[in-house]
Amino acid sequence: MYSGAPSGGIAIGGGGGGRGRGGGRTWPSTTSVSTSGKRIQKEMTELSSEAPPDCAAGPKGDNLYHWVATLFGPPGTPYKGGIFFLDITFPFDYPFKPPKVVFKTRIYHCNVDPSGNVSLDILTENWSPALTISKVLLALRSMFTNPETYKPVVPGIAHLYLGDKAKHDEIAAQWTLRFAR
Amino acid sequence: MVNDGDDKVEGLLSPKFRSVAAMAGWDEEALLMASLVVEDTPDRLPKQKKRSDLLHFKTPPTNSRRKRRAQKRNPASITATVLDLDEEDTAKQESEKKEAESTSIEKLDKKGDEALEEQGCSVVTSSTKKIEPKSIEKADIKVAEASEERGCSVSSSSSSAAAFPSIDRLREELSCAICLEICFEPSTTPCGHSFCKKCLRSAADKCGKKCPKCRQLISNGRSCTVNTVLWNTIQLLFPEEVETRKAAADLSSREAKRQSPVRDVATHSNITSSRTTRVLLLNSPESGPSSQERRNSRAMRRQSARASVMPRRNRDISTRRELPSQDGDAALALRMQREEFMESFRTRSSADEQYRSSLALARANLRAMASRAINIRVRGGRGS
Repeated sequence: MYSGAPSGGIAIGGGGGGRGRGGGRTWPSTTSVSTSGKRIQKEMTELSSEAPPDCAAGPKGDNLYHWVATLFGPPGTPYKGGIFFLDITFPFDYPFKPPKVVFKTRIYHCNVDPSGNVSLDILTENWSPALTISKVLLALRSMFTNPETYKPVVPGIAHLYLGDKAKHDEIAAQWTLRFAR
Repeated sequence: MVNDGDDKVEGLLSPKFRSVAAMAGWDEEALLMASLVVEDTPDRLPKQKKRSDLLHFKTPPTNSRRKRRAQKRNPASITATVLDLDEEDTAKQESEKKEAESTSIEKLDKKGDEALEEQGCSVVTSSTKKIEPKSIEKADIKVAEASEERGCSVSSSSSSAAAFPSIDRLREELSCAICLEICFEPSTTPCGHSFCKKCLRSAADKCGKKCPKCRQLISNGRSCTVNTVLWNTIQLLFPEEVETRKAAADLSSREAKRQSPVRDVATHSNITSSRTTRVLLLNSPESGPSSQERRNSRAMRRQSARASVMPRRNRDISTRRELPSQDGDAALALRMQREEFMESFRTRSSADEQYRSSLALARANLRAMASRAINIRVRGGRGS
């Protein structure tokens, strides 16, 4: 578990280092490095200037391709008050391939499997290079309020959500209290 | 009939604009310049139909040189001041004043004066007048109308200048959703979304032939054409960004060429080149800013020479590559090294007179020293 959310300052400092190192490494293809690196850099500055509500994201260390993100459980949901950490890994041909998003904080949600993998259509087959991390974060946020119950990775939770929402919410709130604070 | 000859030149211009230009008697140069400027003339299809009878008049080339100059300058002034609308206004006013002077000599009627709001149209009035006095009345009315409308459009555009979107807004609007930078050679999908040509192509390659923004299917052919209007606009609005990206593209392409099939030999030649540089630096006798400058220029020249040599060499190598023996490669590398060395010396000595003279001086000094030493030794030998 991560002790602190990446603040803006850390993110920017880490990003600078990441860019410096990215240039010296030998990636599979030189063109994709520059495009993906530039694009991630751009997204980082954009996020630091105007982040979506209740979200934060930035590079974990000095590697530009490895980010950490935090989501605050939106009010009106059983996840209210929780702070959820996510790992975001960018592929080297990033805008053309989706980033990998993994929940590091345990969460009771029908679209997040026990190891934290998210099943979100825009992160798999419906990915588009025009999507950005801030849009992904927004999608994750809306996933908190509206679980995708028709294609769940944990069918039990989806069943409970559809059958007995009060019970589902209770368990989810308990998990939030236990793991996400 | 008027435009037939010019069709080739003005393929990019709308027929409306062409007709107006023909009426104004703009020459080809002015049209070409204007074609670089703006495609923002508002749509006025019905007006064009009304005015079509004007097209049958043969418009003579403008006879006043002064007028022509004013016309020629006008599009240029627009190009220069796409963003600085205040300046444009003043420029326009100035040219209007000039126009007023020149046309007042020709004694235009009242409607013509109205037409002065737009100098292009005022020229039309003056020129049509000479041809057919009978239809002047009609033509004048129409031109006056047109000019009024033009004036309206101009004023509306200047009023929108107050609400002209900020450059940041424009940047956001004109940036590619894939690379998040200003669109470089934008290409527009059938669904109307624009991306860099390269970005769109790689998106189609790697993510399927769907529009990245709306997921509509896109065909192959369209993704390869550049939206010229958009591209020109971007070039006008963000010249620096475009320049830097052009430079980056050049660099990457050169890099790609350099890293093509023969990596080891290429790096080898790099090493040798750096070595030659070091040798040259050692050779250069004087130091200081001037020598530094000369060294830079020399390095640049050498670089360009090397760039021109590069492709041939690459070809050489790739054909040579088939040979199984490594000795061939080594010999080739040696030869290349020698060639490069000779080349650097040749280019420098051919161009750099001063350096050559200093080199000659150094040589003379050396010779003098050597002869002195010999003399001393000889003398010493005699003495002992």
